[in-house]
Amino acid sequence: MTKKVVHESSSMHVTGKAQYIDDMLLPENALTGYVVTSQIAHGRLMGFNLDEAKNTPGVHAVLCYRDIPGTNQMGAIAHDETTLVEHTIQFIGQALFLIAAVDEETAKLAASKITTEIEELEPVVTIEQAMEKGLQLNPPVVMQRGDCESALAQSQQVIEATITSGAQEHWYLETQVAVAQPLELNDMKVYSSTQHPTETQALIAEALYIGRHQVEVETRRLGGAFGGKETQANMVAIWASLLAQATQRTVKIRLFRDDDQQMTGKRHPFLTKFKVGFTKEGKITAYRVSFNANAGYSTDLSMAILARARTHAENAYFIPDIYIESTAWRTNLPSNTAFRGFGGPQGIHAIEEAIERIAQFLGKDAAEIRYLNFYQKEINNTTPYGELIENNHLETIWNKITKTSDYTKRKSQVDAFNQTSQFVKRGISLTPVKFGISFNTPFLNQAGALVNIYTDGSVVVHHGGIEMGQGLYTKMAQVVSEELGVPFDKIRVVATSTQNIPNTSATAASSGTDLNGMAVKNATDQLKDRISKFLATYWTNESKHTINQEDILFENNDVLVANQPELQLSFTETVNLLYQNRINLSARGFYSTPNLYFDKATQQGRPFHYFVFGMAVSEVELDVLTGKHRILQTDILHDTGLSINENLDIGQIEGAFIQGLGWCTTEEIKWDNKGRMLNHSPDTYKIPGIRDIPEIFRVSLLDNAPNPNTIKQSKAVGEPPFIHAFSVFFAIKYAVAAVKNHKVYPELNIPATHEKIVMAIEKLKQE
Amino acid sequence: MQRNYIEFLLDESLHKISWDSNQKLKPTTTLLQYLRSLPNHKGTKEGCAEGDCGACTVVVATLNNQNQLSYKAVNSCLIFLPQIHGKQIITVENLSQGQRLHPVQLSMVSMDASQCGFCTPGFIMSLFALYKEPGTSTDKDIQYALAGNLCRCTGYQSILNAARVALKNKGRDKFSEKEAETIELLKQINREPALFSTEQQHYFQPTHCSDALELKQKYSNALLISGNSDIGLKVTKKNELLPLIIDLSEIQELNKIIALPQGVYIGSNTSLNQIKNELKESYPALHKILAVFGSKQIREVATLGGNISSASPIGDTLPVLMAYNAQVILRSVSGKRNLMLSDFITSYRKTQLRPDEIIEQVFIPKPEENRFYDVEKISKRTDLDISTVSAALQLKIENKQIKSIQLYFGGMASYTQTANHTQDFLKGKPWTIDTLTQAGAYLEKDFAPISDARAQAEGRMLFAKNLLLKFWQNHQKNQHHD
Repeated sequence: MTKKVVHESSSMHVTGKAQYIDDMLLPENALTGYVVTSQIAHGRLMGFNLDEAKNTPGVHAVLCYRDIPGTNQMGAIAHDETTLVEHTIQFIGQALFLIAAVDEETAKLAASKITTEIEELEPVVTIEQAMEKGLQLNPPVVMQRGDCESALAQSQQVIEATITSGAQEHWYLETQVAVAQPLELNDMKVYSSTQHPTETQALIAEALYIGRHQVEVETRRLGGAFGGKETQANMVAIWASLLAQATQRTVKIRLFRDDDQQMTGKRHPFLTKFKVGFTKEGKITAYRVSFNANAGYSTDLSMAILARARTHAENAYFIPDIYIESTAWRTNLPSNTAFRGFGGPQGIHAIEEAIERIAQFLGKDAAEIRYLNFYQKEINNTTPYGELIENNHLETIWNKITKTSDYTKRKSQVDAFNQTSQFVKRGISLTPVKFGISFNTPFLNQAGALVNIYTDGSVVVHHGGIEMGQGLYTKMAQVVSEELGVPFDKIRVVATSTQNIPNTSATAASSGTDLNGMAVKNATDQLKDRISKFLATYWTNESKHTINQEDILFENNDVLVANQPELQLSFTETVNLLYQNRINLSARGFYSTPNLYFDKATQQGRPFHYFVFGMAVSEVELDVLTGKHRILQTDILHDTGLSINENLDIGQIEGAFIQGLGWCTTEEIKWDNKGRMLNHSPDTYKIPGIRDIPEIFRVSLLDNAPNPNTIKQSKAVGEPPFIHAFSVFFAIKYAVAAVKNHKVYPELNIPATHEKIVMAIEKLKQE
Repeated sequence: MQRNYIEFLLDESLHKISWDSNQKLKPTTTLLQYLRSLPNHKGTKEGCAEGDCGACTVVVATLNNQNQLSYKAVNSCLIFLPQIHGKQIITVENLSQGQRLHPVQLSMVSMDASQCGFCTPGFIMSLFALYKEPGTSTDKDIQYALAGNLCRCTGYQSILNAARVALKNKGRDKFSEKEAETIELLKQINREPALFSTEQQHYFQPTHCSDALELKQKYSNALLISGNSDIGLKVTKKNELLPLIIDLSEIQELNKIIALPQGVYIGSNTSLNQIKNELKESYPALHKILAVFGSKQIREVATLGGNISSASPIGDTLPVLMAYNAQVILRSVSGKRNLMLSDFITSYRKTQLRPDEIIEQVFIPKPEENRFYDVEKISKRTDLDISTVSAALQLKIENKQIKSIQLYFGGMASYTQTANHTQDFLKGKPWTIDTLTQAGAYLEKDFAPISDARAQAEGRMLFAKNLLLKFWQNHQKNQHHD
């Protein structure tokens, strides 16, 4: 397979020609949609007057919940989100009214003329407040193996701790946007920056009170998503559709950056309590963990996110007796949502903290404790939910990365450095990831495709996946190119549309290539079968000796039988021949991941098709006085199976790592006690910049690691490398602990901002 | 009659926008809004509309004093239309020639440096400006040039690699070929003073200081702007309609750095980037803070006068300028006066500037021999971030004793303030880490910082205390260097 293929849009990206939804040229009479939102976090909407707003010149519609023809509901899974507030206000930024006007200025003017009567109620902001009030979204879910309590009681040592991790804003560069265009027969075409067109379509249909067959959602590319457009894109698309239906004009809504940050959900903040039992060698004997997530005001994807936190609670370690409990808590914040890793990072955070504490307690290297507890190949290879870990690469990766990063030597150099340096400390850490691939909910693991061959030999590919920068369209074109032997430039992967591919799953859970790639291949398999079957008969007749279908190859834009030069046609000639013989040159592909099952009641099953493995080693240098740090070096060795496109995969790994770095260090969101977000713009919300990346940054792919039963034996890559950022987080903690010569374990949670670092150091000094 | 139009070069032809009666654009319409209203310039993106992401970066080519073109990457979201008068605007659509990509574009493609592509046009333009800068570009230059561009997908490594490849051999490009022609076109543009008026707004663009002073006397409530990196936010973020503006950016007299034996006079219009580059040797502490002030795009337009007059509680340049005993020179129609910068700022966002005055210059005396000047800034992120706490120091040590010390802190009070109790305590004490540790307690008498989005009060106080030790550490290093 040609692995050096650049992103199909790259030359459009660099010339500004790649079109995003906000770049579309709209009809002259198109309107700007605007959302009027709540400025209080909790209350009751007692009354309102929209008359003056409606009478503002240039305003074409002002809508409240009563103007919604269908259901006033936009919850993706649980039906607990109103499209427009009826009575109860649940967070700052919740939509109250919609305005369509000739331009944004007019819309804002109209908004200022709306009067409301609101009764303010006490908001619940933090997990602790929600716990105190017992505001569980759902009853806690428990996953367990063995008898954790008695194993803890019998453990030689036990450590317990409470840790937290913060919210993370997706900060996709392109804010939420949709254009809704009314069509004849009350139909609606919507261009939406969504990761999940099918769900967007369904919710629009429900809101407009029309059938799904009357709504088309089309998406060519997203300007970043990272989970933030899995459900959060729906609302903008629904609002634009409501306004378009009401005005019978094209309506665009694009959220202003600050509004986007305030209105949409984040990565769930977690409050986690754990108790870990271990031997004096550092072998974990028992682990009890309780995850508490701040879900925000509604369910959204919280239950699935907690499911992934539970199934990643043990990361790469075999723990014989384990008890994992998770609870989502309801607060007056925007509904927290999917974000790269989907609860996995929060789940893994706790067990890695446990490891670090064990190492500190025993005076051993944390990497050694990690190694001691890794899942093994023949024994100790079953997860707490009963899934057997096959093709485990942990040992191989460990052996390679400890060598290539020179880990042991550098570790002792770090320790030596710290002995003589007072104001500058260094830290180094090796962290692993084992990440389960498949949607935790088995039925979501399906995909469709449609491949059309035209008689000039060109090919159009439709599939249900969304291009959000990860290079999915590029990989799909590569699959088709290799299967049909057609050059890259004769293949177009076109905008994803619910009319062409129905009933799709979100492009999420790192599954885009796995699912859609197999669906595309299923389509090309059918086409190849038809072509080779026809040619076998055709050539048998022509050459008077038997040609087997299996011997027909698709290569270099030709269809041929090896070593028989007379049996060779160009791809174009071939498809013309089939066309003349009235054979279908279009095929629908479908794929559903085999052998997945999960019993929600027992929390046992086989939820994952396979696991991705990887490890990272990071070394940091910390300024003890300011909390500033530099990443001197990061080495990552990551398993992508047989990569379909190595450069795209390395890009995913680097990007995920830096995104994880942001979550662990600079990205901090605070709310005041009224539920108002303080960090609602890039002015105070800081994602990593170019000077924050490791000074030496080496990413390698594990070679010779074919993955059975996936597209081209590759592996998913989107989320797992996010976990590698823990290597930086724990290297920072190591440097912090060096201030007290590792005698005391530092209190430092996520995010470890400069402020939190100096405060942790101060606390250590006072111990 | 005053000029009521702007003229600028875009897509290789001169464009004219006149503020006559049927003009729908406001004089405070931003360059980004204007570009995105055109069918062929949708490549320039809005990521934040506050200069904090760089997605809207375009390059402005300006005729300099020697009638040569200088290319600067700027955030188009914070530029009002009148500010592009007489300039060439280059956007991402302008770089390629047919199918042939510009070297910076080509390397971004070949090094896989775009993923979702939304930030890419901004990176391309920042790289293009660096490509057009004379001389070689080091890794550090690349990082400075790209620190104002955020990317959420790539993790930057591929972009850094692409930049290295593209900038390794800077050659001629299509802009070099057209340079003479461009210069001629720009030279033709009328540079008279201007007034752009609509029913609701008046926007003056004087070209001489005397005209500006007369305008300021007449319209004392007019808002002064120059780089617009701060005032622009009133429009893009707060939706304010600015009724009366005097734009000083076209006044060349205010855009000069004059170095004399007694010190340096910096025109209030001078960009922070120019100051950073020119005063690196003579005022190293000023250079140090400017290197982490905003981003290169911001520093290209932001002026020293603007930063000082904002009198922000943080005001990144203020503590260090005060430590250098800087003075402001204020001018009005009736004359000029000098004030110590530390006296000029009186309280939260308040200064002694009278309604009829403008800041003409900032004077920084030559640093005294045997004195140590230093500055430290703490922020969440190194670049493109406002200080959480900043501090500056002027120190004289004699016989290992602190002979004199001045300490100024930003982010610790409602405006930049000196740490009086701490200074008093330290004076005459030995310059040791013990003394400075003890001095921390006095900072608690000097300051009662607040908690906000950037940090908690407790964290701020700890930072301030630690910065005393940091100064000690920096001084030690500095001594070793000497």
